[in-house]
Amino acid sequence: MTDSDRQPHDTDSRPPARRDLLRMGGGALAAGLGGLALTACTGTGADGGGGDDGDPEKGRITVWSWQGPAAELKALVPDFNKAHPGIQVTVEDIGNPAIWEKITAGLAAGGQGLADVLHIGVDYLPGYVERFPGGLADLAPLGATRHKDAFAQGLWGTVSPDGTRVNALPWEANSGGFYYRADLFEKAGVDADALQTWDETIEAGKTLKAKTGAHLIGIDKPASQPDAANFFQLLLQLQGAFYFDLDGRVTLDSPESVKAMTLIKTMNDAGLVSDLSGGWNTLISSLKKGTNAVVPYPTWFGGVIEEQVPAEAGRWRVRLPPAVRRGGPTAATVNSTHLAVAGGSRHRAAAWTFVEYALTRPASQVRIYRGKGIAPALMKAYDDSVFHEPSAFFGGQKKGEIFLAALKAPSPPVNYTADYARALRLVTDAQSKVLLKGADPAAVLRDAAAELARQTGRKTAR
Amino acid sequence: MSLAKPLPAARRRQRGRAAPYLFVLPALLLFAAFKLYPIGWSFLLSLHRTVAGTDTFVGLDNYARLLDDPLLWTALRNTLVVLAVQVPLMLALATGLAVALDSSLLKGRSVFRLGFFLPMVTGLVAYGIVFSVLLNKDYGLVNWLLGRAGADPVPWLTDGMWARISLGLALTWHYTGYNAVILLARLQTVPRELYDAAAVDGAGALAAFRHVTLPGLRPALLLTTVLSTIGTLQLFDEPTVLTGGGPDNATLTLGMYLYRHAFTYFDFGYASAVAYALTLLIGLLGLLQFRLLGDKP
Repeated sequence: MTDSDRQPHDTDSRPPARRDLLRMGGGALAAGLGGLALTACTGTGADGGGGDDGDPEKGRITVWSWQGPAAELKALVPDFNKAHPGIQVTVEDIGNPAIWEKITAGLAAGGQGLADVLHIGVDYLPGYVERFPGGLADLAPLGATRHKDAFAQGLWGTVSPDGTRVNALPWEANSGGFYYRADLFEKAGVDADALQTWDETIEAGKTLKAKTGAHLIGIDKPASQPDAANFFQLLLQLQGAFYFDLDGRVTLDSPESVKAMTLIKTMNDAGLVSDLSGGWNTLISSLKKGTNAVVPYPTWFGGVIEEQVPAEAGRWRVRLPPAVRRGGPTAATVNSTHLAVAGGSRHRAAAWTFVEYALTRPASQVRIYRGKGIAPALMKAYDDSVFHEPSAFFGGQKKGEIFLAALKAPSPPVNYTADYARALRLVTDAQSKVLLKGADPAAVLRDAAAELARQTGRKTAR
Repeated sequence: MSLAKPLPAARRRQRGRAAPYLFVLPALLLFAAFKLYPIGWSFLLSLHRTVAGTDTFVGLDNYARLLDDPLLWTALRNTLVVLAVQVPLMLALATGLAVALDSSLLKGRSVFRLGFFLPMVTGLVAYGIVFSVLLNKDYGLVNWLLGRAGADPVPWLTDGMWARISLGLALTWHYTGYNAVILLARLQTVPRELYDAAAVDGAGALAAFRHVTLPGLRPALLLTTVLSTIGTLQLFDEPTVLTGGGPDNATLTLGMYLYRHAFTYFDFGYASAVAYALTLLIGLLGLLQFRLLGDKP
């Protein structure tokens, strides 16, 4: 869904394994229904946070994650076992997006067959919490609250919306970024660093297109993949807006929303947007071909560029995105991922011991950053020198510091709600209408907002 | 003593009668646990709505919602378009192919038969990905070739109509050989004498096809039609991989819509209602086809 969740963090794992998605879909369905059978027969299900949490230093726990992060968690285990020899940890790489179907099926089956520790993206967390109460353990009684102020701002509100119950602990915090080909901008005679607003950027894009032939950005126009609305979402968040307001009302047709979609339409009408239908594969081939001068992707994408086009070292730069309105914010936490403990786990305390070890110790987080470029939500981790080193690939820029500045900037909380998936689908459809048929942004967003309200029973904010 | 008496014949027969049931019992139990139970459970689910983790009985509300859901009708329309256009074309193609593969004029028939059947064994997702790579507007091989020939790029997957055509092409490539093999098997049971008799009566190739081959193929045609109908109504993998249901739901199918509600929106009640509506539809269409194509009494 949002990029971090949908994409592998390492590129050796190629596109999000769609084969897995389908295989898991069928398997998970069977498992889910089988699990329901067991639940119905025995009357036992996840009992939520209550009951015995088990021994915090003993137990056999399983962790579900995907690709890169899974590998990094696995690498932490030997060190973890030196401190906690009584806990045996098995890290499983379920694959992304397969992991979402698998967790959904497990939660729907009353917690049957779930791992003890679950890696969950911000786009799924509220849905899981709301649709399956008790499916995830409350981490507050286990001691999570003492880390309340350790994370990038806004993230505690995400994992603990009511301020008492803690559904998960933040891991990654990705800020919106603006990766660009300095050589192309130079050829066009445009100073990319001086671009203050997206309107200016569009003008620069026109010069760029005329002088170099490169598009400004690429978008999956027919929304062949669910993350086609990433750029739209970034533009919304740069204005402090989202699909829902903090009261859960639908704000899809807000002035900010219309502004964001209008910017996209303007770019597209000017021929500045290439089509990235096909998702990850196409994105990578466009990267290799140099089709687009700008890749407006979050923190973790820098590592992907370095891996995919190593020969272009020195040609790339990164900055925070231009503001939507002159003088407006340029920082936005566009997504985050989290570790949660399954409510039905028999080793909740031991699972928490592992989660705490992985996410609240700067040493663990620094190691994970070095391995896969995963940007930690834990602010203390940024004291390490690795975040302050100049990057040869990015022309000597201190990439880590650029994103750290974004994490420190005020970032309004984002209310994903349990209906994010529906909202996202309607948004991508609306965007396709704008990009492929030239539809009017205000009109398609008004329709989408009305449809979302109809589907979810939510009120619109207008 | 009665104990010494041999068992009465009737009881012996009865015990003999129980044996087959014992043998099928494991299979029956598995069937009940993994098929019957989910079928029943999903019906119950379709009568419930889950709000904040609690199931509330809502009666037929989910079914009423179906009637009022514009996307459901879009999905149904898309599915029926494939059914009305792609399935007949594919079956006609398969029939032609079966006749050609049966012809003694063709050398190396087994090689051709294998060739046409091979797409069937290709993994659904694998070929979906291959097609999506081939058909990409800006980076795909097909448009590159068209460009070499001087033609404009075709928006294979980015335009609603073309996306449906692409989907139809992928489906036809995948399933034609499979249907041709079924038809071919039936074709080989048509007695040669009938063709000889037709020839004696002065029938040409076309007349023989119309009056001998087609009636002979009838049961196999019925089978392939019904199978294709069921397959089309459950269509999921190809559009999921090829287009994700897009652009703007032009290739959204009922199967995808069901899946989306269950596993993306966590709305299992509504997904179950869609599943039951789909089952009803498949049942009705199957019945209709048996009526139209099946042997008349």
